[in-house]
Amino acid sequence: MLFLQLLVSGIQTGAIYALTAAGFALIFGATRVFHVAHGAAFALAGYSFLALSQAGFPWFVGAGAALVVAVAFGLFMDFLVYRPIQRHEGSFFTVFVAAFGMSIVVQSLIELGFGRGFVVVASPLTRAHEVLPGLYLADIFWVAVGVALLLFGAVTLFLERTRIGIGLRALSENPELLRAFGLSSRRLSMVAFGLGSALAVPGAVLTAMTSGLQPAIAAQVMLVSLAAAVVGGIGSLRGAALAGLLLGVVENLVVSVLDTQWSAAAGFVVLFAFILFKPSGLFGQAVAR
Amino acid sequence: MIAYLLNLATLATIFGILAASLNVLIGYAGIFSIAHAVFFGLGAYAGAQLALQFIPDVLLACLAGGAISAALSLCLALPALRVRGEYFVAASLGLQMMAVTVFSEAHALTGGHGGLVGIPPATLFGADVSGPAPFLVFALAVLGLLLLAVRLLMRGSFGRALMAIRDSESAAEAFGKDVRALKTLAVALGCAMAGVAGALFAFYMAFVNVESFTLEQSILVMAMVIIGGTATLAGPLIGVLLLLLLPAGLSFLPFIPPTQIGAVQQLIYGLAMTLLMIFRPAGIAGGRR
Repeated sequence: MLFLQLLVSGIQTGAIYALTAAGFALIFGATRVFHVAHGAAFALAGYSFLALSQAGFPWFVGAGAALVVAVAFGLFMDFLVYRPIQRHEGSFFTVFVAAFGMSIVVQSLIELGFGRGFVVVASPLTRAHEVLPGLYLADIFWVAVGVALLLFGAVTLFLERTRIGIGLRALSENPELLRAFGLSSRRLSMVAFGLGSALAVPGAVLTAMTSGLQPAIAAQVMLVSLAAAVVGGIGSLRGAALAGLLLGVVENLVVSVLDTQWSAAAGFVVLFAFILFKPSGLFGQAVAR
Repeated sequence: MIAYLLNLATLATIFGILAASLNVLIGYAGIFSIAHAVFFGLGAYAGAQLALQFIPDVLLACLAGGAISAALSLCLALPALRVRGEYFVAASLGLQMMAVTVFSEAHALTGGHGGLVGIPPATLFGADVSGPAPFLVFALAVLGLLLLAVRLLMRGSFGRALMAIRDSESAAEAFGKDVRALKTLAVALGCAMAGVAGALFAFYMAFVNVESFTLEQSILVMAMVIIGGTATLAGPLIGVLLLLLLPAGLSFLPFIPPTQIGAVQQLIYGLAMTLLMIFRPAGIAGGRR
């Protein structure tokens, strides 16, 4: 039963990871920007939700504010950080360091505003029921899985069916051709950053209600979405989501074999192994060295 | 006051060696490792164990630390040979996270979270060099020697070949450079220097634990190199001075409560990283590109 219990909580964590990683992959796929400040968008969304919930607003107000904050942060990064860098040089590492700097800034601002400790938003959804003998399940499990499936489906539809979605996919494949065709790559990259950051919001809200938030969550989420994006094949939304789910499950299942201290490292062992033996990931195309 | 300044100077020297070693990887070889604290740690543990089990000779400890780090640098060279850019950053991240777990779990070698305590005072060929002034002189001598070595190597054919690989791997290969061997050597050299810095650190602190070898430390050293200016001899040293003096300077400002200094300091260096990347990507000591 322990195995089943861990599997279930792994799926819940994995659903959150999957959505966040899909956002990261969407941004990377369309704009080729390695948005390591994605975790900061997650943290900002989570803490906005927390602040409004503590102020007594209903959950949907908090979630709405979280959405606004996350999208605004994504657009801010695109406009004021990535674009100026890409204008003059745009080497991959320059972008990486700048984004990393911003996520450190966000983390320390949160630390100054909310303190270092864990904070949780209490919710009746997290109360666990015994579903099978020895297997406890809280309603929030269904919320997490449902939201993840729904949003993932919606984003996939958006990318495949709408004009902007097709434009986003075209942007990732051939930006020059896209410009020659008369579409604006700047507008499309705004869409990618907005949508990608928005995908971090449900995970942030759910995490605030389940395991709680702390300032370092920005770095943690960044690491997980980065790992998921690489394992899934960089740029592949489906791959990132699947790998996110996988990482969540592995992280939880490892506990049944090894001590809990190893659970965080397990995901990175998977990551390291993938880079060494199959750098193209689950769904990626082959990469040049 | 003198003791305080000596302490600061010694730490700056040790971090100077560490930053210079990362500069070999980032600046000259174009290998963007964010796992450098791992090799700093390996050197520290090796030096500490040598001192605890056999003799507290600081020169031998430096050699041992360098040797261990160089040998295990293969863990970093392997992904560096297979993948580039984002993938390598992700791989080094994976390595860093795994190493922290191993450091805190391998109690027999590293003392776990408690660390290794009671490292005996440093001696050099039997003479006691553990006083603050003699130790500083020794550390400065090591720094000077290593900087000289780096300068000579990077001026010579090895350095030129490395920089050629950094700028275009396929062009260097077409010119008949053995890319694999050169990269492996560069990684080994950079990591060995980090190991030397680690051994000095262990003697100086007389105590090592995993807290000094985390991702934050890797990022701090990376920030030192980037802020100072990559691929220059003076750049990393400038970065070290700035980032080490920053907390020291902040603690003199009366209006910041002492408990918040850590967060404010993080905020400033995050901002510095982002702004520098936007306005001056080559760093303070680097020329305009």
